[in-house]
Amino acid sequence: MGKHKTFCGSGDHAISRRGFLGTAAALGTAAFADMTQLNLLSNPALAGELKKQQKRVILLWLAGGASQVETWDPKPGAATGGPFRAIQTAMPGVHISELMPRMADRMKHTLVIRSLNTKNADHGGASKLMMRGRRDEANVKFPDLGAVVAREMGRADSKVPDYVTFYTQTEGRGMAPGDAGFLGSRYAPMELTTNNMPENIRKVDGISELDHQQRADLRDLLSKQFAQGRTSPTLGSQNEAYQRVRGLMSSEALFDITKESDKVRDMYGRGQFGEQTLIARRLIEAGVPFVRVARAWWDSHGQNFETHQEMVPELDQVMAALIDDLKDRGLLEHTLIITLAEFGRTPSINPSLGRDHFASAWSCSLTGTGVKPGVYGKSDATGNKVAEGEVDAAKLFATIYSALGINPHKNYYLGARPIPLVEPGTEPITEVLA
Amino acid sequence: MANPDKLKLVKDLSHKAIAFSIARVPNSNRVYFGCSDFKVYEADVSASKFEPKDLYAHGSYVTGVALAGKALISGGYDGKLTWYDTDSKKVIRSEEAHSKWIRGVFASRDGKIVASIADDMVCRLWDAESGKPLRELRGHAEKTPHGFGSMLYAAAFSADGKYLATADKVAKIKVWEVATGKSVAEMEAPIMYTWDPVQRLHSIGGIRSLAFTPDGKTLAVGGTGKIGNIDHLEAKARIELFDWAAQKRLVEYTSDKYQGIVNHLEYAPDGSWLLGAGGANEGFFIFIDAAGKKTLRGEKVGMHVHDVASSENAETVIAAGHNKLAIYEMKG
Amino acid sequence: MRSRRLALLALFVAACVARADLLPADRPIHEVIDHYVDAKLAKVKTTSAPQVDDVTLIRRLMLDLVGRIPTPAETRSFVESTDPQKREKLVDRLMASPGFVRHQANQFEAMLAGPNSRGGGGGLRDYLARAVGESRPWDQVFRELLLPDEDDPKTKGSSDFLRSRVSDIDRVTIDVSVVFFGVNVSCAQCHDHPLVNDWKQDHFYGMKSFFARTFDNGGFLAEREYGLVRFKPTKGPERQAKMMFLTGMAVSAPGVKEPTKDEEKKEREKFEQFKKDKKAPPPPSFSARAKLVEVALQSKESEYFSRSIANRLWHRFIGYGLVMPLDQMHTENPPSHPELLSWLARDVHSNKYDLRRTIRGIVLSKTYSRSSKWTAETVPGPGTFAVGRLKPLTPMQMAASLKIATTDPQAFETGKPEELEKRIEGLESSARGFASSFAQPTDDFQIGVNEALLFSNSDKLAREFLADGNEKLIGRVNGISDPPKAIDLIVRSVLCRPATADEQRVLTEYVTRRTDRLADAYRQVIWALISGSEFRFNH
Repeated sequence: MGKHKTFCGSGDHAISRRGFLGTAAALGTAAFADMTQLNLLSNPALAGELKKQQKRVILLWLAGGASQVETWDPKPGAATGGPFRAIQTAMPGVHISELMPRMADRMKHTLVIRSLNTKNADHGGASKLMMRGRRDEANVKFPDLGAVVAREMGRADSKVPDYVTFYTQTEGRGMAPGDAGFLGSRYAPMELTTNNMPENIRKVDGISELDHQQRADLRDLLSKQFAQGRTSPTLGSQNEAYQRVRGLMSSEALFDITKESDKVRDMYGRGQFGEQTLIARRLIEAGVPFVRVARAWWDSHGQNFETHQEMVPELDQVMAALIDDLKDRGLLEHTLIITLAEFGRTPSINPSLGRDHFASAWSCSLTGTGVKPGVYGKSDATGNKVAEGEVDAAKLFATIYSALGINPHKNYYLGARPIPLVEPGTEPITEVLA
Repeated sequence: MANPDKLKLVKDLSHKAIAFSIARVPNSNRVYFGCSDFKVYEADVSASKFEPKDLYAHGSYVTGVALAGKALISGGYDGKLTWYDTDSKKVIRSEEAHSKWIRGVFASRDGKIVASIADDMVCRLWDAESGKPLRELRGHAEKTPHGFGSMLYAAAFSADGKYLATADKVAKIKVWEVATGKSVAEMEAPIMYTWDPVQRLHSIGGIRSLAFTPDGKTLAVGGTGKIGNIDHLEAKARIELFDWAAQKRLVEYTSDKYQGIVNHLEYAPDGSWLLGAGGANEGFFIFIDAAGKKTLRGEKVGMHVHDVASSENAETVIAAGHNKLAIYEMKG
Repeated sequence: MRSRRLALLALFVAACVARADLLPADRPIHEVIDHYVDAKLAKVKTTSAPQVDDVTLIRRLMLDLVGRIPTPAETRSFVESTDPQKREKLVDRLMASPGFVRHQANQFEAMLAGPNSRGGGGGLRDYLARAVGESRPWDQVFRELLLPDEDDPKTKGSSDFLRSRVSDIDRVTIDVSVVFFGVNVSCAQCHDHPLVNDWKQDHFYGMKSFFARTFDNGGFLAEREYGLVRFKPTKGPERQAKMMFLTGMAVSAPGVKEPTKDEEKKEREKFEQFKKDKKAPPPPSFSARAKLVEVALQSKESEYFSRSIANRLWHRFIGYGLVMPLDQMHTENPPSHPELLSWLARDVHSNKYDLRRTIRGIVLSKTYSRSSKWTAETVPGPGTFAVGRLKPLTPMQMAASLKIATTDPQAFETGKPEELEKRIEGLESSARGFASSFAQPTDDFQIGVNEALLFSNSDKLAREFLADGNEKLIGRVNGISDPPKAIDLIVRSVLCRPATADEQRVLTEYVTRRTDRLADAYRQVIWALISGSEFRFNH
């Protein structure tokens, strides 16, 4: 599985290490990774193996609530329909907004669910709900989709992060951070907020590789001593974080978009959303199980049509590029691309020509592995209510997990208490599973 | 003499759709207006009962209606221009005028030329009678400096029909010589375009209205101020005045009270005041003096106003907007 | 509707234990605390962790009171003292020091900012420092924050609280309710209780009505004579909100009708003039905000106010509130020790909201000084307070402590306490920049890889804390030829205690394997300690 040279094979080193660890429990770090050598993308054997392996997810998080009328569920001619028309897609009988012509051509890959009724129309609560598939209980913090996928698909000895999220804009960022809940910080995301390269990922000059690793071992040893007899979730998270440093450092190149050709970069577009989605492709190709790219901020209470006229074509370009790119690389059948948000927007149009928060009949899309393309569910003629095939957050998540090959009724355990992945009694939408 | 101090609401009329554009038949109280239900209506606003009659429909929102002689020309998000003969009461012509969404239709005062503007960023001039395309005015950038598709929101003819001004999403203004199609002036009002790179990564605003003074020397430009939270039209209404020949800004005016965007501008027949109408969640009329410094009169209007049609002496002002028409008078 | 509200108030007041059942008001605070906590431990048959040793106690007290670790000299002096009153004297000395003012001002600033803040300018913190320094009562601070007088130098900076939020009145409503009353009126998604659901809407808009007339007038806070809040309830048509406090107490207010055009015009012109003159407009003849302050502090209603601050102070020093979460103080969520909270709230109220009194009482209790180690199988829940709670250091505590830990201890042994104070103050100032690299801890704080990467690879951190230089620990250590001595100095400096035998062995071994790069080796040892868990927490 790739070439990892142990950093120093000296007996000297081995004795020292044993001396440090003493009887302390094994730290679980893999053999020393040679930072300079790892380039998974250039290793064909590894890439080939990924193709056989477990699934990957890219979540395009349309933070703020994109309008379903101006994207996946147009209502031409209805009083609520707005000015944009509906266009025929490559899927017979299926129309989407004229603002998404490229996706219209690619609809044969995509499942649109038009019947989401998730009942929560406030940003904070709804973001949490739609990232987890359920509401938190007073004493249980559920892991979000990224953390679960990281847990299910990630590898223990992975050199890449398991869960990466890009959220660069400031609006809404605090409402929907990645959250591993009771799974703990092992599955907490690497959050990229200020730029596309994780900060402090490169070793500074002035310390050798050996010393860098060994002082970390020293730190771990002493911290483990301190942790004896002390309980604190924060304590655990700190030590987990340090465990992962070396592995993360070796994944630096993945975030470097200049390694892609101009042709590919132009296909995604040179804006922030396009670039981050391209990096997401690089990450999942290297084995990162879950990447979220947040495109904030769609909350068009005023000037909804102007905002969507500006932003939807970008989504169209980025999503189409991603589909084409994954397909070219033979990865589309192993990847699930999700477009989702905390809610949709009201069919009714307010005096500022805006649409407000709306969770009663809205849309999301699933493309790629495990789903049958087409349309599931219907909203009524004005879009105000679900007409057929109502789906709540739990059902959506059950469907997503099933599409990924994860049993949605599987239990995690919080102490002795079994906690199923999705809310009990929820079944996936079997009709849409491939 | 139309006196803003005497402004008073005569009546307001509910309508099931949003009225985006309105044109008044001279010397009458009949209007044509285009709506969000794709229809073009005719109505007599002085009738005891308001019974608009739908004449024909576009394929989407009707954003511009203009009267040129006997012809009513309408345009909409379907990219089409429709000629309707108001005498024979028939649609006589339909043009696939623009490849993208039409934002306005304007007729020169002499009724000879019609201008249409759309998000393909082209202004097209048409012979009002024959419908023949005369000229294309290209020069507004298709993309904003931030890489997104732009919009061409506003246009206005000078009173003598010699010049046409156009303005776009990124608040660039151009003045064109109608006879030649040559661009003769360029200005900008950058505050009216807010791009937010930090919080929300998109834009809002743009210049939505233009008006020449009766003497043609000054160009008024309408929009909104710089916005902090671009989810809302939360800044105050904003108007700038330009000496367009010198390409110089004369005055910046911000309403202290009215929030929203100025969708329509028109000068008094004698140029003594300028009316800006628009809105956000509510609507407003703002009358300012010729120098653009003082608010003569501000009035909350019962709906977000998209367009206004006035009588020749401006004593009757008919506003069209969100689910309403409103008739005002300023007599004496 | 009204009877429901009265019922709710009755429920709430009943939950606040009847005065007659509480310990007498003249009992010392720390005794009352230990009484109630031990009583509950006995009731649930749980033992408690032992008291911490002096070395741990001084570190804990100094972090909590003055926001930093002790210097080795301070630790030594406390540990070696045989004065039976040394703990009280230490507490009093610390609370009288400028460090107390600075640290508590930081803590109050964080409390006012809430979890989503991005840090404000220094104006509010300067105000809070003045307020803490003068021991201003909490009700006075409340009044000064909600009704700032822009012209009064004594309250300069207090207007930042409202001004930074005034463009979003919903935000003002929620933040004031959370910070001062322990009630998050916006979040009742979790409550299926029909009473509470209904309560939320009327109470939210009722509270909002107190703020709806406030706005920003050219950078100054202003308040109109008029302004009403209308809202659309979940059931029924749109209606007008009545000014109403959280208890359900409605307030009748003038300005119930919409103003006439003339009145509106006059008012607008008046505000315009103040804007032109760049002056703060005076308050209106009826100020809705002043009414809120009045109502919130009057006898029955002030329960919310005093219980909330008592709970907040308990949480700040103990690490876990008597009610958790801090903003869910309602009948559905009773305190772990109802009598204790009621007693503390009563004590705060009857002592004119003197917070220093409460703070002193908490840090002198045995409950406060319990060890954070628990070696038996099942750990008692945090709400029993049987075990000391690990508190992750705040950004300023981290940065200031990092500075002190990596400074040559001799630099702190000048002898003159005023010089030491000045030096510490200087260190804290220079630490402020680096503090922004850390996140403010919340109740479910998870330290992420970003912090681990920061310590592991940031050259800024290496330069700030590990580079050689004037009066640096690393410089002093390099001058010590005997590794065990150097190790001992390092551990005392960073962890505020002597090294254990095991640590001596392991660390000396680490260093002696690197004799070709000894300075680097010592640097790495210091690194391992400052990035380690023991340093990261107040334990």
